[in-house]
Amino acid sequence: MRLLPALAALFVCLGGLTSPASALTDVEASKACVECHDSDDLPDMSQGPHGEVPKKKPPMDAAALAMRGSPMADATDPRTPNCISCHGASPTHAKKPEGAKERPRPDRTFSKNGGTAAHERSEVCQTCHQRDAKQALWGGSQHESADVACSSCHKVHTNRDKAMVKATQTEVCYTCHKEQRAQLQRPSHHPIPEGKMTCSDCHAVHGSAGPKLALRDSTNATCYSCHAEKRGPFVHAHEPVTEDCASCHNPHGTTVASMLKARAPILCQQCHTPHVAGGVGAVGGQRGVFPPGVPGQGGSAIGPVTGGKNVVNIWQGRSCTNCHTQVHGSNNPSVSNPTPQLLFR
Amino acid sequence: MNRPVSNPGFAPTLLAIALLAAFGAAHAEDAPPPPESSVTVGTSLLSGNDADRALFGQYNGLRTHSATALLGFQYNRRDDEAGTLLRLEGSNLLGSTRELDLRWKKPGDWKFSASYGETLREEPNRASTGADLRLERKKFGVALMKTLGPQWQIDVSLSSENKDGLRLFGIGMNCPSPVAPGCGGTTGAQVGWAVLMLPEPVNANHSQIEARLSYAGDKLFLSAGYYGSFYQNQFGSLSPNVPGSLNNAVGTPLPLSPGLQAILNQPVALPPDNQAHQIDVSGRYSFTPTTHLNFKLSHAQALQHDDFAGAGFTGAPAGVSNLGGRVDTTLAQVGLSARPWAKLSLLAKLRYEDSDDRTPIALYNVEDTATYTNRRLPSTKLRGQLQANYQFSSDYRGTLGAELESIDRGVFTATSAAAGITALRQKTDETTVRAELRRRMNEELSGSLSVARSRRDGSNWLRDNSGTGVTEVTDASDPATGFARGIFMPTLANRQRDTVKLQADWQPSDTVSLQLSAQHGIDRYSTPSVYGVQTSGMDHVEFDASYALSERWSLTGNLSYGTETLRQARPDAAVMAYDNTSSGFGLGVTGKATSTLQVGANLSHLDDRSTYAQALDATADGASAALLAATGGLPDIIFRQTTLRLFGIYTLDKQSDLRLDLGYQRSTWSDWGWGYNGVPFTYSDGTIVGQSIRQSVGFIGLRYAYRWQ
Repeated sequence: MRLLPALAALFVCLGGLTSPASALTDVEASKACVECHDSDDLPDMSQGPHGEVPKKKPPMDAAALAMRGSPMADATDPRTPNCISCHGASPTHAKKPEGAKERPRPDRTFSKNGGTAAHERSEVCQTCHQRDAKQALWGGSQHESADVACSSCHKVHTNRDKAMVKATQTEVCYTCHKEQRAQLQRPSHHPIPEGKMTCSDCHAVHGSAGPKLALRDSTNATCYSCHAEKRGPFVHAHEPVTEDCASCHNPHGTTVASMLKARAPILCQQCHTPHVAGGVGAVGGQRGVFPPGVPGQGGSAIGPVTGGKNVVNIWQGRSCTNCHTQVHGSNNPSVSNPTPQLLFR
Repeated sequence: MNRPVSNPGFAPTLLAIALLAAFGAAHAEDAPPPPESSVTVGTSLLSGNDADRALFGQYNGLRTHSATALLGFQYNRRDDEAGTLLRLEGSNLLGSTRELDLRWKKPGDWKFSASYGETLREEPNRASTGADLRLERKKFGVALMKTLGPQWQIDVSLSSENKDGLRLFGIGMNCPSPVAPGCGGTTGAQVGWAVLMLPEPVNANHSQIEARLSYAGDKLFLSAGYYGSFYQNQFGSLSPNVPGSLNNAVGTPLPLSPGLQAILNQPVALPPDNQAHQIDVSGRYSFTPTTHLNFKLSHAQALQHDDFAGAGFTGAPAGVSNLGGRVDTTLAQVGLSARPWAKLSLLAKLRYEDSDDRTPIALYNVEDTATYTNRRLPSTKLRGQLQANYQFSSDYRGTLGAELESIDRGVFTATSAAAGITALRQKTDETTVRAELRRRMNEELSGSLSVARSRRDGSNWLRDNSGTGVTEVTDASDPATGFARGIFMPTLANRQRDTVKLQADWQPSDTVSLQLSAQHGIDRYSTPSVYGVQTSGMDHVEFDASYALSERWSLTGNLSYGTETLRQARPDAAVMAYDNTSSGFGLGVTGKATSTLQVGANLSHLDDRSTYAQALDATADGASAALLAATGGLPDIIFRQTTLRLFGIYTLDKQSDLRLDLGYQRSTWSDWGWGYNGVPFTYSDGTIVGQSIRQSVGFIGLRYAYRWQ
């Protein structure tokens, strides 16, 4: 009878050895890592997608326990990552070679200057994450070409990856895109500083068929996803609007209403021949604009019979759009004069 | 006496070891704690009034409220048996920008999310008519992901957004006008022009659907998807009701000429309903572990069939009930990236996009004997890119790249007319070359320097015929073309663009990190005339620093300085120079004052100045010279904003804390757009629009958070 439990134990042992060998091996090997890299090194990440509790056990164990049976973070699933699957077996790091002055680094490290090339760092993550359709165009994208790695933006050893949270994502992007941080402080901006939008609402950071990693295939198509009223087509279109919203707008912020790159009429007159009246910029409140005129002027710029295309109406209020209100296009089909072709109505 | 039977050889120690070997450490350890949930309640008070909070309250819903209540929560649950995670989160539930978000998933198997969000945009300017110029968006969305076996996955998302409110808008007309016969008046006795503020009513719905089926094999990833956009506007047009008397330019009420009144009372178009559909196939194929090809093919249709009569319009061309707008866009992109050697990586990319405007042509313009149609706007864009990166050593990396972009805007619709421009261009070609060198000086210091130059030219200019069609000009220097006084679009003109970028990272110690980023760019335009945009430029320098004072305290700071310039000339008037200078800084400190008290402060400042300087050219008339001399030119537009935020979080116990926020924001925006020196821009009916030049708001918020597991 004593032989039975012995056989049972042997059977179970063999079962352990024949179950997903590499995963278990890595999990076991990862235990050596946390002998040194304890909770002081590894912050709590138990709530994150690569969950871990800061105890002396491999980082993925807790998540594996928590989600038994699920493909992700299950120790019986070979896809489940652990220390080894990301950082490599790192034998010389685990056991410093005799005579070595310093302990060699792990096979793969994820800090910017850690010695592991950006593409190698990203390949580790892509082992699991390349199935995401959003990453199909990662190869050759602006970020990939600029040596931005997954770990440049994403943090694994945390409960709260800033890049994944709307309220904090901009902090990550500003690390490199500082010019946009300054522009978003200007008064005419998208509600990004207020936390109602974030960079990834417009940019597909993992690759795109559009310019500047636009979320959709063009700048305009991206803008239309929130500003669909501008899509048209219109009876009377405005060519630069159809071609590229960024011809006139800087979506990151300006000091001109509607995020225009410059104030009308200066913006409009970059393309359009100006109305001669009011060609010199001046505004009501300045000397000589309203009566009385100043010496040498021979009369103020604005008088009782001054027409609409005067210095004030062209430069103030909504400027050119005081009259040309339909700058994004008009669908007014009226053939009678004045037709809306000049985008009046 | 019974004695327990024991077998010191195997039970229970050996069995435990065996089980451990069988199932790994996972089952041998304690389960982790359940995820944390929390609820947050609080209140905030704000100083000042609606005018003080015009800029501060542009998007946060706090413009019109001096006191608000705060309520938010986060509920997380994990079902260990089912392997599912549930997260329900709500924020600002008692305000006007509330958000609710549900995420429920079984990682690697399925994921479901539902969200509801409100966004409010308050126009900073107020109108004297009391029009409530604000736009509110309410968006609901659901999304589902499901894996179908180890290689297939399906994603579906739906969203619907309602947008309501009033937008700053208007109408205007000047008489007499060659395009507005009958628009005129008796000089001095009637108003012959008018500019009116007319808020645009907005009540629209935008629904979007996206569905995608993906396949992930060992070497091939393939994804096919559909995207649909459906925009519906409740308002087709706006019918003004212009009174018979308006003010003249100096504010004297006068009768409105009947011709002008009739024109101003014509309906004004509002955005029409439209739809867009796109199907695409994208994917990636790995020839080898180091050679990958990715691609995207898509075909899209933009449609606009809004009924003219239903929108409130009459007078459409005979037999035409709607535009029948249709634009088909075909996109093909293919990219190849390879790493033939460990040190060399190559990239080649080709992108083709064709927008075929199939909108029917009709005579929408009948101006006495001059008749012309609408205009089609097709385009074909071809873009090629080559790039090589070489790792010279562990410390040096170089990049060389070239791009070619060609845009063909198609043949000008011969029956249509261009207006308000000198000339167009059918084709433009732009070639860009760039080089970058990265160097890692040591483990602490690294940097990069990149330069790029692009040159754009194009086909012959197409002169506006001042009627229908355009005429190709083969000799742009011919005086008969009138090009010498023309203005040529910067989007079409010959251009040379030069940019230089410098970036440096320095981490001299574990506690200090410094970053420098500098950029210089200049565009030089070349056109048949000396007018229009001649150059534009930009310079930016940004510096970031962080310093960990101790394990408890850290400091961050940033400085930024940037300029933007534009030089343009205009015939018969003046050279216009636009210069914008923007500088700012931010300082932050966070720390743990005690084991139960965390505090932080952040101070930021921005100083932005736009200068519009003019210098008269030789052709300027006397009136222009006199006006410029009298006014001294346009005043500068200055925006300054300083914001101070302080917070403290006091831990009451392991499950709860109190957070106190204090803040102060002061803004100055001297912008002459709506008034200057106490003289407001005044619409013809006396309406004025504007906001306070100086605004300051203080705020205090207190919230209590309770967490549980």
